[in-house]
Amino acid sequence: MRNRFDEQLFELNREIIEMGSMCEEAIASSTKALITGNLDLAKKVMSNGYMIDQMERDIEGRCMKLLLHQQPVARDLRLISGALKMITDLERIGDQAEDIAGIVVFLGGRTTNGFELIGDMANEAIEMVTSSIDAFVKKDVELAKKVTAQDDVVDDYFSQIKHGIITLIAENSTDGEFALDLLMIAKYLERIGDHATNIAEWVIYCVTGTHPGRCKNDLVCGG
Amino acid sequence: MINKILRSILTVAIIVQIASLLIITSVLYRYFGDIQISQLKDGLSLASRAMEQLGESYLESLNYDRYRLTWVSSDGKVLFDSHADAATMENHADREEIKEALTSGTGSSIRQSPTMTELTIYEAILLKDGSILRMSAKRDTVFSLVLGLLQPIAMILLIASILSAWLAHGMAKRVVEPLNKLNLEKPLENDAYEELSPLLRRLHSQQMEIKSQMRKLKYKEDEFDQITGNMKEALVLLDNTGRILSINPAARKLFNAEITCIGEDFLTIERKLNMRLALEEAKKQGHADFRDLKKGREYQFDLSRIDSEGNHHGMVILAFDVTEQVNAERNRREFTANVSHELKTPLQSIIGSAELMESGIVKEDDVPRFVRHIRSEASRLVYLIDDIIQLSQLDEGTEMPHEDVSLKVLAEEVFEVLTDAAKLKDVSLEVIGDDGVVNGVRRLLYVVIYSLCDNAIKYNIPGGSVKVSITQKTGSVCLSVQDTGIGIAPEHHEKIFERFYRVDKSHSKQSIGTGLGLSIVKHAAQYHNGIISVESKLKKGTKISILFDTKEQ
Repeated sequence: MRNRFDEQLFELNREIIEMGSMCEEAIASSTKALITGNLDLAKKVMSNGYMIDQMERDIEGRCMKLLLHQQPVARDLRLISGALKMITDLERIGDQAEDIAGIVVFLGGRTTNGFELIGDMANEAIEMVTSSIDAFVKKDVELAKKVTAQDDVVDDYFSQIKHGIITLIAENSTDGEFALDLLMIAKYLERIGDHATNIAEWVIYCVTGTHPGRCKNDLVCGG
Repeated sequence: MINKILRSILTVAIIVQIASLLIITSVLYRYFGDIQISQLKDGLSLASRAMEQLGESYLESLNYDRYRLTWVSSDGKVLFDSHADAATMENHADREEIKEALTSGTGSSIRQSPTMTELTIYEAILLKDGSILRMSAKRDTVFSLVLGLLQPIAMILLIASILSAWLAHGMAKRVVEPLNKLNLEKPLENDAYEELSPLLRRLHSQQMEIKSQMRKLKYKEDEFDQITGNMKEALVLLDNTGRILSINPAARKLFNAEITCIGEDFLTIERKLNMRLALEEAKKQGHADFRDLKKGREYQFDLSRIDSEGNHHGMVILAFDVTEQVNAERNRREFTANVSHELKTPLQSIIGSAELMESGIVKEDDVPRFVRHIRSEASRLVYLIDDIIQLSQLDEGTEMPHEDVSLKVLAEEVFEVLTDAAKLKDVSLEVIGDDGVVNGVRRLLYVVIYSLCDNAIKYNIPGGSVKVSITQKTGSVCLSVQDTGIGIAPEHHEKIFERFYRVDKSHSKQSIGTGLGLSIVKHAAQYHNGIISVESKLKKGTKISILFDTKEQ
């Protein structure tokens, strides 16, 4: 019985890693599509979006089954409840990657030329997602803490880009629609950073039993 | 074990006790029963004699404590009874013992009382007058006897049980003690029961077998570790669920994994999409391969499923660095393209000039200029082809005559040739150091020094200097050519030895050269077991050193 449970936890762990990998792939691809103006790549990201959703449902089902049938405690319970929260964030990341790809398609091959900052921001966001998944894989609290700190960098990029776009519009050197699309992409990237932070926080919760963003009396703190 | 022995001893003791008690009781019961019956018979026969002589008065004079006497007439009517009023008693003619006595002279019977606790023994005798005298006595049944004995029996059983339990416990302990003391690590050294010795011998031989198997396994494992530990290729073994069974140091380095990752999911160290797809493909098809960039180098990943007897047991992942191979392929492609390009340019220029002259467009005065152009382009072609031939010779590794060559002498020869060029650029030439005798191919070594010095002059600044220094040590000769020229940026250091590579991408005619010089230097140095190193700073100068290993010669 116990063995079966361990086997299922192993499967759960693997599925979360797979889902994380899918999300990484999705943002990396949509960013690449954005920078190079590769429409095929962007369309591929959009058509693969359902896979991440499907994965979320699968993991959710597995978690529910584990909770109901095995009544896990302590560490296992934290892993499962953490997983339930994490997949929501991962799914959001996938959605946002999809949305960016959608904008890329809408831009119709127009690249962010002259706006390298958005590429840098995307790389930062990708790194955050990668690190947060790495933190989960290795159950590395230090790495997870680093991710939560990295969020400020992405937020900084966002405000820089926002100001850049404001100047562009003020100078009338770009059309408004393009500028807004860029802003949307920047916002999506910023949200991705937030979701990566959430994932990192749930990783910390899974390992230590305390969620860094919660108060002491909260149920999830275990205190 | 102790419990089992204890239990069986106890059970046997109790069964034996109960059985012996039962047997003794039943034997004694029957024995005393027989005695009672014979006493009754004796008494009856005495009583009948006395009766015949004394009459009824005798009957009344007797003491009837222990038995009862009844006198019955031949028709069954009770004439006297010692314990009841004869007149109220019923007819006894149908009683068994009476009937028997009437026919055969004596009769007897045993009847149970309604309460089952007593038996009544009847003995009857036919008197001479035809009447019957019956004597009866009461006796306890076995049941009531046992009932009465129950308390002492229970006491005895209890005491015996306690006693036998105590004894059995001690005995069981004594029996088991040598077994408990057995040293299973060294079975043959035990001084135990003889009956155990086959078992111990078996144990010993099995232990030996296990030890030798373990040694063999350990040896195999060490062998495997040695092989996989020293191979440059990354090797990972997975079980059928995708857990890591074995991972060699090269693979740990490649995937940035710790040794603790053994037993973990492979996805924890590598989760990229192409790897996952390849894993799935290999699971289905038995094999998959792909190439991927990792840590700035290109790797070829080969995945194979391990099958045995139709079962899927796991997966082997082998990754090897193909960067060199890919680069070599690219270099070859580029070389071919470059050679064609480099050969075509002067030829086209020659053809162009010749066509112009042929069509007579060229003025008489310009003809010498055109001819000079054709000649210079043609000689450039020859240089180029010479260089290519030299390179291909070096590539093929053809054996060339070896001799002892002094690098210093060679350098001086080179300087003689290059003096004019150096003067033109206002660069001073200097050679210092030992003779530097190397056993090698004179022509190649000459080319090495020539190319290096030629470059040092060409890429120098006016008023600069070129210094060739040769240091001879036991077993090695170091040749270095140092200039004060424009220098090479660090990112180009690796690539300047590639064919047709130029730091200045414009392929400008300004710096005349085939682009093969340093490539030839590199190959020639390698041909002589030399190691090339570059030290250079932009705008400060370059120092190219070759360390020749002379030990083997």
